[in-house]
Order: sequence, then C-alpha cells, then structure tokens
Amino acid sequence: MVYLRSLVFLIAGLATTLHAKSSTGDSVLVVVEPNQQDNYSLFFNGLKEQGYDLTFRAPKAETPVVIEYDVANFAHVILLAPETKVFAKDITPQSLVDLLGKKTNLIVALSPKQTPLSSLAAEFSLTLPPPGTPLLSYFPEREEPASVIPVPVPASHSILSSNLPPVWFSGAPHSLGNNPLIVPILRAPAASFASETDGGSPDALVDAAERGGEGLWAGSQLGLVTGFQTLDGSRITWLGGAAILSDEFATKEVSKGVPSGNLQFARDVAKWTFQEAHVLRIDRTTHHLVNTTEPLELYTTNDQIVYTAYISKYDSVSSSWVPYSGIKDLQLEFTMLDPHIRTALLPVSNEPGKYLVTFRAPDRHGVFKFLINYKRKGLSFLESSTTVAVVPPRHDGYPRFLSAAWPYYTGAISTSVAFFLFSALWLAGDSREKRAKGHKAE
Amino acid sequence: MAPPKSSPAASNVVHTLWKAYSGQTSDRLKFIDAFLVFLMLSGIAQFLYCVLVTDYPFNAFLAGFSSNVGQFVLTASLRSQVNPENKNEFKEVSPERYMTLYCGRS
Repeated sequence: MVYLRSLVFLIAGLATTLHAKSSTGDSVLVVVEPNQQDNYSLFFNGLKEQGYDLTFRAPKAETPVVIEYDVANFAHVILLAPETKVFAKDITPQSLVDLLGKKTNLIVALSPKQTPLSSLAAEFSLTLPPPGTPLLSYFPEREEPASVIPVPVPASHSILSSNLPPVWFSGAPHSLGNNPLIVPILRAPAASFASETDGGSPDALVDAAERGGEGLWAGSQLGLVTGFQTLDGSRITWLGGAAILSDEFATKEVSKGVPSGNLQFARDVAKWTFQEAHVLRIDRTTHHLVNTTEPLELYTTNDQIVYTAYISKYDSVSSSWVPYSGIKDLQLEFTMLDPHIRTALLPVSNEPGKYLVTFRAPDRHGVFKFLINYKRKGLSFLESSTTVAVVPPRHDGYPRFLSAAWPYYTGAISTSVAFFLFSALWLAGDSREKRAKGHKAE
Repeated sequence: MAPPKSSPAASNVVHTLWKAYSGQTSDRLKFIDAFLVFLMLSGIAQFLYCVLVTDYPFNAFLAGFSSNVGQFVLTASLRSQVNPENKNEFKEVSPERYMTLYCGRS
C-alpha cells in the first residue's frame, strides 16, 4: 500500500500537465513484431498522449526483461504477438502469472492459432475453440469476408463508454468458465460461430449444431474480449484477436458515415486494465463505542459499536484519490469463524467517502473481526479486517441492584433490622431485670 | 395444625401445650421465641417465593435465605444458653458472655 501510494505521488509530481494517468504507474512494455508495430499506431499514440511511457520489444528479443531481480520492470504489459509460437525465455505463461502477482496489468491478444498463450488462457477459465477456427458470421450482409465482423457493443456496460458504435472484430472467440473473477467485456453476436474459414464443410457445421454442447461454438455466450481481475487486484484483459486494436479497424466505417467504435473501445479497455478507472481503496477504518471517539481493543458483550470506513476512488483526470460515496451495497461482517452480524454499511450523507454503521455486539464473547469483503465484477476488491476481543462484563460491570431481587433484599434487610431490634430490646430487658432484682435485694 | 373443632382430643392437646408454654416460660424466652418465629416465617416466605415465583437472582436468594437460617440457628443456641433449665450445662459461661458471643457471631 505504501509502495502504491508513493508511486501515485511520484506520478502526480512528475506530470501534472498530462490529463489521464494510471493509479499503478505509467511504464508500458509492448511486445509486438517490429514490422506490425505501425498497424497499431493510433492505439499506441493514444496511450502516449495520455502520458504512458511505451517501450517496444520484439517477442524474441532478450531485453528489456519483464522481471528483473524479482521486481517487475513495467507497470503494464501489452502482448500483441498472437501468432508467435516461440517467445524469449523470460516471457512464458508462468512468468506472466508471476507478473500478475507483482501487480502488473496485462493485455493479451489471442488468435485462432495454437500458441503458448492459448494454454495460458485456459488457466483463466477461458476455453478456446479448436485451433484454426476463427469467429465467422454472415450477418449483417456486407462486403467484408465472413471473419471480419461488426460486433454491437452493449449500450450500458460499467467499463465501456455508453452508446459506442459497433466495433470490428476478427479473431477467435472463447467460452467463459464460471470463474467469479472473470469480467466479460464484449460478447460475440448471436448469429456468429467459430468454424474453419471457408474450408470448413457445411456438413461438419450442421453435425456440430445437432450435437450441441461442446461441439458447437456459436452464439452470444461466447466472449470476444474478457477481463479478469486477480485477487491481488491486478487486471488482465484477453482479446480474441489483435486486430480489434488495429488502425485498419479503427478507421473502417461500420456503415456509411458512421465510424467504428474500435478506438474508443480500445481506450476504454486499456483504461480499465491499466487501473485508471474502477479503482477503489479503503483509506482507513475505525471503530468505537457509541458517544465516544477512541477505538477500544476490548468490547463488552451487547455494547453499541460504531464502525466507520473511509473509501476513495481513483480519479485518473486529476491523478488523485477522491472520497467516494457511490457504493450502495457495502456490507460489514462481525465474525468469529462465522459472521455473527452481517449488516449494511451505508454511506453517510454530506460526508463523502464515509460509510458508517452502528450495531449491538452479539451476546457472545470471543475474538471477533470487523470484516469488509466487497468483491464486484469490474471494481477493485475492497478487503479489510480488524481484530478485536469481545469480553463478558467485568466483575464490576454488572448492575449493582436488580429490581427483581427486592423480595430477597427485603428478607435479608428485615433479618438484620430485626436482629438489631432484638439485641437492643434484649439488652434493655436485661438491665431492667437487674434493676428490678437490685430493688428486690434492697 | 389440626382444626380444633373436628378433633376435640387434638385441640385439647394443643390447648394444654399452649397453656403450659405460656404459663411456664419466662418472658425473655418468649421474646426469643417470637424472634425465632419471625425468622422462620421470613425464611419460609423466601423459600416459597424462590420455588413458586422465580429464583432469578439466585445469589440474592442465597444471601437472604442463609442469613435467615444462620440467624435462626444462632438465636436458637442463645435460647438454649439463657434457658434456666440448662443452667447446669453452661455453668462457666456468664449471661453477658452469651450475648457478646451471640452478637459477635451474628
């Protein structure tokens, strides 16, 4: 966290004039064949204008290495070499997984060809169709080949700009497993399917359609662009084809006079992947008794406890963290093995970024934790855990007199009072007797 | 206690007992007996309350009830010591000392 924060300050100090920055750093390594580098110039220039520091490297070049002395050299890596079968020895599926563990973000392009990256995709719950079967669609009718498809973009998607025109796509689809960390971004059109280009026999296709299930790669359940956020918070985006970022598709019109949405789409995807948008963090959390301000290490059973969390969202325009009150479904758990209390942690009006809840500690003593575990698709995960002890009342913490006990109090008090009365009367009687005796003696 | 009218013999016995008691017991012993009766009634009342109504603050019940019982025992022993009939058994103990011991123990 400290490392991250210092990085943010560094960025803010370095470039206040630039208009959009990532929250984790602006060094980007682009692994791309040198002869294809110019095919993506619009996308790369867009990143440079934003202030990213791009370094290009051929897939087989030895330098610059991605991990040196166990430290990631770049904040983000783009792998636009979908057809390369042999990479330099430091770019292996295993090292890419290591990179994610070191909070590096990745954009990885796939292709219908079988490469080491296709097997890596399987580790992220993406299943690719058999090699050599790109996505085809004969709808809508158009001049382009069947493998170049205009894909309608969902009108409202948390990651993408709203009302984007369709984007051109060419490449392989993938089916999504049920991994909860997957963030689907773009899905295939309903009338599309994966098949061998032209060479595929219609019979084989019909066969596959009749068998259904795993034999058929078709329909809108297939993913084309899919994000994945690891539990560490790093993000990786899988592109079904590198062409979606290309200049050719960015400048191609989807219909007469309507430019394609590719450039903005690429921009939005990079924005999410490079931690510019949808980045949240918990600044701090506190807890205390009602009507006090100091956090305690010990709470007593049935205490009224106030728990407060301060949450910020990264604002890429000002490169700063701003308090954020937009979360409506945050929950606080008070757990000892199981959540004894799970309650809504709601934003406080008029105090941006502050979330507060007051609850009664359970009538149960033990070691409890205040837990926030907020995991939503597309947003950074919020996790916080604070351990406190809940103890039974101390020996002097109980009420001194109980109204229910008054019959017994009366019994005890009346006994003592009666004892004093008895003793007093007894002694008085004794002395009187003596006096009487004395009188008699005289 | 049996109702006096239904069994004249029993009532007769009780009557005789009562007469003998009030005739032969000194006032001071009667005074102690009154105190003992009070303690006994109070203890019975607390015990019944505990059994029939609630024993909720059980330590309060224990305190109230045991103070009653303890006081009863001490007072009963005081009674046996000041009783003129037992004079021979407590020769060496002076009446002042009974009372001092009694108060001290209470």
